[in-house]
Amino acid sequence: MAKKNAAVAAEAIKPKAVAKDEDFVLVSLDKKATEIIDTPKYSYWKSVWKTFFANPVTIFMLVLMIIILLMSYIQPMFSGYSLLDVKGVNDFGARYNWPSAKYWFGTDADGKSLFDAVWAGAKTSISIGVIASVIVTVVGVIVGAFWGVSKKIDRIMLEIYNVISNVPMTLIVIVLSYTFGNGFWNLIFAMTVTSWLGTAYFIRVQVMIMRDREYNIASRTLGTPTRRMIFRNILPYLTSVIVTQVSQLLPSFISIEVFLSFLGVGLSSNVPSLGRLISQYSPYMTSYPYLFWLPVLVLALITVSLYIVGQNLADASDPRTHM
Amino acid sequence: MTVNKKDVLLSLRDLEISFGEGKNKFVAVQDVNFDIYRGETFSLVGESGSGKTTIGRAILGINPTSNGTITFNGTQINKKLSHHQEQDVSRKIQMIFQDPSASLNERATIDYIISEGLYNFNLFDSEEDRLQKVTQIIEEVGLLPEHLYRYPHEFSGGQRQRIGIARALIMQPELVVADEPISALDVSIRAQVLNLLKKFQRESNLTYLFIAHDLSVVHFISDRIAVIRNGRILELAETEELFNNPLHPYTQALLSAVPIPDPKLAREKKLLVYDPKMHDYSVDKPSFVEVKPGHFIYANAPEEEHYRQLLDEQAQGVN
Repeated sequence: MAKKNAAVAAEAIKPKAVAKDEDFVLVSLDKKATEIIDTPKYSYWKSVWKTFFANPVTIFMLVLMIIILLMSYIQPMFSGYSLLDVKGVNDFGARYNWPSAKYWFGTDADGKSLFDAVWAGAKTSISIGVIASVIVTVVGVIVGAFWGVSKKIDRIMLEIYNVISNVPMTLIVIVLSYTFGNGFWNLIFAMTVTSWLGTAYFIRVQVMIMRDREYNIASRTLGTPTRRMIFRNILPYLTSVIVTQVSQLLPSFISIEVFLSFLGVGLSSNVPSLGRLISQYSPYMTSYPYLFWLPVLVLALITVSLYIVGQNLADASDPRTHM
Repeated sequence: MTVNKKDVLLSLRDLEISFGEGKNKFVAVQDVNFDIYRGETFSLVGESGSGKTTIGRAILGINPTSNGTITFNGTQINKKLSHHQEQDVSRKIQMIFQDPSASLNERATIDYIISEGLYNFNLFDSEEDRLQKVTQIIEEVGLLPEHLYRYPHEFSGGQRQRIGIARALIMQPELVVADEPISALDVSIRAQVLNLLKKFQRESNLTYLFIAHDLSVVHFISDRIAVIRNGRILELAETEELFNNPLHPYTQALLSAVPIPDPKLAREKKLLVYDPKMHDYSVDKPSFVEVKPGHFIYANAPEEEHYRQLLDEQAQGVN
């Protein structure tokens, strides 16, 4: 039976007729057709997301960032943490517990759970850092872009910058905080009112570097107005620089808040923040190190994850990385 | 190519361009006088640093001029213009850049790059009209409509230069300043780009100011040539006249430097070296004089006499 099958198969593959040279026709290469196949229409944003999610480190950092954000904005709603709550201060069993299954981050001198304290503090610190960074970056980038391209604005702005940058920023913030009093929005106003000048100056220099590149001269000969030059020609090149700037601003605002809380200005005394926790627990660095290091770790994770996600997003927005 | 000699499109008179002020003043270009006729290809040749590009950019209004006039279509354009005039001039004079990789916005699609001028001057009725115009021009320069949604880095140097040409020509300009448009390109694709430029000139009676340092290319493409050195035009003549009767020693030196693709002939070639000290301009100041109809040269009186003599001798020799 098997033999018969093999014979049938052999019969099937046996050529019916032998192909000769004249049976073949030379088909000319259609260069245009190959080009068309080679160039499918593609979408910019789809490619951005594809490049962005291609990196496993980015995905990990993005997940970490989302977890931190969710924890800091949802956990305090349930924990009912209050900075002024001292009812555990006489319960020696509740005080200075090292991290365990019951108290994940341990407890402090008042018997309060550090886990609750960290997330309540992170909520305030992230809000301050993000809001202040967004204000400073948006104002700074827009002003800096026009500052960089216009000689007239440059002359005026340089004088303003020279005067204000000579006054120490901490001094301005402290004076303003004293004048306006404690409070979340007062603090943000005090921190952002002059610091956008630094970002604007930085962007001005970057814009001046790009301004006289040949493709911008080409745009000028095509009659492109200044505004479109800024938004279409110059700022897209600066995304990664701007993201780096933001990721430097964010921790710097958080640390200004730390410093001000330490001085007793800035936030009201009943508002927890990472800065307040870190300065409050710094004496325990050797005796109960978890009290100091865990808030520092959370602060570091916030900064690092935001920085890496931002950097990779900036890289993915460059079309040269899409292939 | 028939050129109507009467129709002057662009005229430069006593043009001077300088950078810096006071002690640091540097005069890049001085006493430049020439006319460009409608429909011709006028070439500026000279070594690097001679001021060719500076003149080209001054015509486009990128470099400010310190003296003299630039007249386009009868209107002086190197002064403060009304908004309407400025729009008109900047649409009608376009530029093709030397480096095709530096002159395209890497963060914009080809579609945007080519339509940039259309957006600026609102030269389209509707989105379909714009797309149709862009598609037409991209096919004319030998690319495909599929390329519109790509980015400059995905193209070869020759293709990028075609994009640069497309974005200049979609504006339907009258004068195109081509600043060494092929010097950054591979030798094998130079001819393609030159032919493309010539094709557009035939089709829409374009005028080119062609800036180059490669004399064989200039010989191929131009109707008239001006030789520039250290910001001064030394000699100006029709292409054949300049190549047959180069009078100025610098022009002769330049022509002697053109490589000959035959080793036997090349060995016998005599390279001339130009030394500016050979001119004695201490007493007799030179000026730009016409020694033969259409043939101008920078010379003082004795030199002019000498050049005229040379031309007479040559004319007799031919007869």
